[in-house]
Amino acid sequence: MILLSDYLVLGAILFSISVVGIFLNRKNLVVLLMAIELMLLAVNINFVAASHFLNDISGQVFVFFILTVAAAESAIGLAILIVVFRNRKTINVEEIDSLKG
Amino acid sequence: MTFEHIVFYAISLILLVSGLLVVTVKNPVKAALFLILCFVSGAALWLLLEAEFLALTLILVYVGAVMVLFLFVVMMLDINIAEMREGFVRYLPVGGVVAVLMMLEMAMILASSKTGLVERSHPVSHGADYSNTAEIGSVLYTDYVYPFEIASVLLVVAIVAAIALTMRKRPQTKKQTPSRQIATRAGDRLRMVDLKSEKKQP
Amino acid sequence: MEFQIPDFAPAYPEIFLLCMAGAVLLLDLFLGKRFRNLAYGLSIASLLATIAMIIGSSQQATTFNGMFLRDLMGDILKIAVMLFTIMVFIYSRIYQQDRHIFKGEYFVLALTAVLGMMVMISAGNMLLLYLGLELLSLSLYSLIAMRRDSLHATEAAMKYFILGALASGILLYGMSMIYVTTGTLDLAQIHAAIRTGDSANLVLSLGLVFVVVAIGFKLGAVPFHMWVPDVYQGSPTSVTLFLGSAPKLAAFAMLMRLLVGGLENMSGQWQQMLIILALFSIGFGNIVAIAQTNMKRMLAYSAISHVGFFLLGVLSATPDGYAASMFYILVYGFMTLGSFGMILLLSNKDSESDMIANFKGMFSAHPLYALVMTLLMVSMAGIPPLIGFNAKLAVINALVESRLYWVAVVAVLFSVVGAFYYLRIVKFMYFDQPGEAIRLNGGMEMHTLLTINALALILGLPWIGWLIRICNSALAQLS
Repeated sequence: MILLSDYLVLGAILFSISVVGIFLNRKNLVVLLMAIELMLLAVNINFVAASHFLNDISGQVFVFFILTVAAAESAIGLAILIVVFRNRKTINVEEIDSLKG
Repeated sequence: MTFEHIVFYAISLILLVSGLLVVTVKNPVKAALFLILCFVSGAALWLLLEAEFLALTLILVYVGAVMVLFLFVVMMLDINIAEMREGFVRYLPVGGVVAVLMMLEMAMILASSKTGLVERSHPVSHGADYSNTAEIGSVLYTDYVYPFEIASVLLVVAIVAAIALTMRKRPQTKKQTPSRQIATRAGDRLRMVDLKSEKKQP
Repeated sequence: MEFQIPDFAPAYPEIFLLCMAGAVLLLDLFLGKRFRNLAYGLSIASLLATIAMIIGSSQQATTFNGMFLRDLMGDILKIAVMLFTIMVFIYSRIYQQDRHIFKGEYFVLALTAVLGMMVMISAGNMLLLYLGLELLSLSLYSLIAMRRDSLHATEAAMKYFILGALASGILLYGMSMIYVTTGTLDLAQIHAAIRTGDSANLVLSLGLVFVVVAIGFKLGAVPFHMWVPDVYQGSPTSVTLFLGSAPKLAAFAMLMRLLVGGLENMSGQWQQMLIILALFSIGFGNIVAIAQTNMKRMLAYSAISHVGFFLLGVLSATPDGYAASMFYILVYGFMTLGSFGMILLLSNKDSESDMIANFKGMFSAHPLYALVMTLLMVSMAGIPPLIGFNAKLAVINALVESRLYWVAVVAVLFSVVGAFYYLRIVKFMYFDQPGEAIRLNGGMEMHTLLTINALALILGLPWIGWLIRICNSALAQLS
């Protein structure tokens, strides 16, 4: 039988991958947003697995809300991205550095 | 090694490899496509966990809407790919070491036998007459009605914000004003001009 | 399945505010540009009405299956959040008009941000904490980016968005670990499920670490502070004013609900983590602030150090300490509003006037506002007899009562260092010559309110004891 901890370890590995993705892709905002989506997927796997193994529906309801919020969040994130791009003509994070002190 | 195990490990492998490719591949379009593969394999795992409703929602909402939005934006913005790759190698050693350490630590904690997770988990395999959708629906509109309403406010905020941020009024756009079209009279469009008839020159 | 219609009465203020936000959105859509002042007036009126509703129906209640908690702490924090928001609206009206961001959407998004904070403040469930936090954050991201032709503002929005989304992901991961070990999302049930002996449970500790890191990100505590200066500086000052004041109260409520309401039996562990966050924040914030030339950046570092100070009260892990923290954060929000209000007062159509040098020679040009700024800065520095001193004193007292003497000593030492950069501004105002003529901006209502804001820091002293007692009784209810 597959254990709860198998799913949790899978979630942990996926979470680490997304963190390293955020580290590595400092230059590319779109991939940065994708890494954040990946992070949410890892969290969702944890919740769904826990919900199944603890036989409690509330974990799945939480995931339902995370999906809703993440959709809204990426819509706003992409809107901000477009506004930045219109101003700068680039999405390279290291060129976006007019704020320094 | 049961069939369930084989499915679990195969899908997990696909999920992790495509996840790794999302954050390392050069082209953002390919990254988006690998992310779609991630979501699809995630949905497959959820089917294994008998969360059918969420598995389908993940495909519909994420693959169907969010990722399409991502692809739209990636293709709309004119991104210089070569420039994006600079610095990737520079951060790789540090980022890689941090990630591996974090992964090992978390995995060791979660996989250890002392957590008490095994004793407390009692998964129930439901029969064919069980409806996951009905179960979620029955709590969503009753016990969880308050968060449900808050989530709807959140979506309204997203709509308002996205429109407020990106809508531009372009002066050169041409558009119809129906009320003016209807209110128009023949006299506005057609002007009768009296012209003297030309006499043919002899 | 039995289902009873939940009792809506405790949530009437939230429902009313939501309806008014919708009304502002629709009115603005149909009435258009000429009626912008109507949206402004209507937003302030609906906030005032909501405050009246909260005061009128103050009670202790739980509804929606324990997801919505109504208690004295929540009521006070909600009233403060709305008062702060009203002040933000009044302070920033002219500034917004000058920059063409005096739009209906601005008010709608600010009202939904307030709603998000109210949801967080009265959350009895991890799900509601998350939803409230996201409602607040999404509104804030878009408020910042609203000035969309400004390079600084859009960059600040992007930075805030990325780090905010990262923090939400970390928070969710922590919550998933807590859910895995306790099997419930309800904070009261989590509290019951964790016994003191369970603190050896590593999965739970892992969840706690992630949750504390996420809260550190949201509050801007060192070492998770890197977004604070950039976002404070890049945002339009009217939005900086907002995000520097009211959300801190919501973050306090989140700490209380999650760490005290849910994970109180792990207090031995989170106390250690918060000590690190708090002391680094106080030290780093105060030292780096000295080197700043930009007023907004300086206030950002000052915010980091104040966040550290307010965490000190929380980490004492006693009801008295929590009450001291609550008092501190209320006073801090009030002072921040005044300080950013002063920047708004000096700014005009052509210039942000957010450099410290802009305050040079203030005394000879406008003695009244030099006094106002002096009161604000001296209170921020925590010099008696102003209220800022009482707030710091309450926190230090709580630390001493919990026998954390060395922490108290370090905190006091760094606040002495911090007094330097506040007093430097006072010196600029009184002893330096103005670089150019200082023009004051803003309407009559702003000038009056700003003066009251500063004077309250000294004239409010007789009511201090009363306010601290209220905070104490509010937190006594909680635990």
